[in-house]
Amino acid sequence: MPYLSKIRINPQRASAIRLLRTPYQLHGAVQAAFPNQAVDERVLWRLETDTPRRPHLLVLSEHTRPDWTHLVEQAGWPGAEGDHFLVGDYTPLLDRLAAGQEYAFRLAANPVQNTKRPDKLTPEQEARLKETEPGTRTRGFRVGHRTASAQFAWFLARCERAGFTIPAVRTTTAPAPGLTLCEKSEPAPDAALIKRDSHRFRKKKNGPQITLTTATFQGRLRVEDPEALRAALLAGIGPSKAYGCGLLTLAPLPQEAPRG
Amino acid sequence: MSTTSVLVLQLAGPLQSWGTGSEFNRRETAQEPTKSGVVGLLAAALGRHRQEPIDDLTALRLGVRADQPGTVLRDYHTASDHRGRPLLSAQVSKKGEQKPTTPAKYTQVTQRFYLQDAVFLAALQGPAALLKQLDGALRAPVFPLALGRRSCPPSRPLSLGLAESPDGLEGVLRSTTWQAGKTAHVTHARKAAHPEHIDLMATVEDPEHGNDSVCDVPLSFVQERRGLTERRIRRLTVTAPTGLEARTDSSRTGLHAGHDPFALLGW
Repeated sequence: MPYLSKIRINPQRASAIRLLRTPYQLHGAVQAAFPNQAVDERVLWRLETDTPRRPHLLVLSEHTRPDWTHLVEQAGWPGAEGDHFLVGDYTPLLDRLAAGQEYAFRLAANPVQNTKRPDKLTPEQEARLKETEPGTRTRGFRVGHRTASAQFAWFLARCERAGFTIPAVRTTTAPAPGLTLCEKSEPAPDAALIKRDSHRFRKKKNGPQITLTTATFQGRLRVEDPEALRAALLAGIGPSKAYGCGLLTLAPLPQEAPRG
Repeated sequence: MSTTSVLVLQLAGPLQSWGTGSEFNRRETAQEPTKSGVVGLLAAALGRHRQEPIDDLTALRLGVRADQPGTVLRDYHTASDHRGRPLLSAQVSKKGEQKPTTPAKYTQVTQRFYLQDAVFLAALQGPAALLKQLDGALRAPVFPLALGRRSCPPSRPLSLGLAESPDGLEGVLRSTTWQAGKTAHVTHARKAAHPEHIDLMATVEDPEHGNDSVCDVPLSFVQERRGLTERRIRRLTVTAPTGLEARTDSSRTGLHAGHDPFALLGW
């Protein structure tokens, strides 16, 4: 049974700062919540920083119900009031999905491309190129998309595979006086890139540097293929899933929600 | 209460200036209309002279809503004798004439502060007969009316008429439509997630539960006996209708609202 968890993090604590500093540390903390080593289980997570200084962690586990006591004790508010963490059964949402439905979504992903010859080789890539005979290497290097337009195009290209489409923006505002709507222009998709980030960290002290370019997308989606979307929700979208990328979450559209 | 009703005024003009305790060369303005300013306005509309009593007007309960708070304008202002003579001091000679200033001072520098581009809604609660008389007087005033200072004429009709609300003064402040200008309306319609409402700051007179006090109740407008006393007030936020339609496009609401995935899990 899949479970969705939400854990609040106290960013004033030294142990929490260590976790928040690198996705690698946070990955370790997330994995520690699963009693059986989750090698064959996909665990997706995302750090939500909507409220400044009050981040929380969203975790989706496919089979195991996690225990977040260690995270609350180390990086939460163990004595405070309120829910330290929430663990919810994810099946109601998965059962509810049907073609034609619309939801609000959010996805933090690591948009990448494969290229034979990157603009600027890292020392590791240079070493790998030297190892191989010229002309024999068939596989390209995986590099992150770094411009917003490339990141957004990467996301739009993955929608169909994941079983959803991004509808056009709904707009009621008339064009400014003196301007007319261009009939030929494509309607803009109702989604936006709300955050772009780049993380650099090392797993070991003298290990290779890992660079992670992340982009967070948010907007409205329409379910086209519920089976494919179910699979995408549980398996994630794009690479770097251990480092807080790929978790697609759905929420009610703001119009349905009460004001406030 | 059946005997009380509420008279609603809109105080809009390019400049307003609501002085309370300012003296001498620095004339400041409050951030919102004062009781003495509003009472003076009503007395002028009724055609009362300075000597006449104003007790019935000061007894009215005043509530003010800032529909458009406005910004403060500082006016650097100088005054001098056009004949080129030095200004006179406050000291008097043995003959009873004012002495010239020593050293000679030719120019008086004063600073006057105004609220520019502000719109306020003032609601007055009191006896229905008096409010009806005031409503008529504001539509056909005896003396010219001004927003706190004679150089600040109102740019819109002052009275919005008598209003009824079960919650009295606060209810009227909540139910009266937002009176801001066109630019503020357009900006609000474009930026707000819910353009059909707006939260506005308000101040109501509340002798029992007021947690703040201001000193702006006039005792008399006679030049020699002018003075102010205190009144208890309470500041609050009211949600008022704007008259704009609810947003149906998704461009802003969808992207800037929070994201709660637990809302779909059915518990």
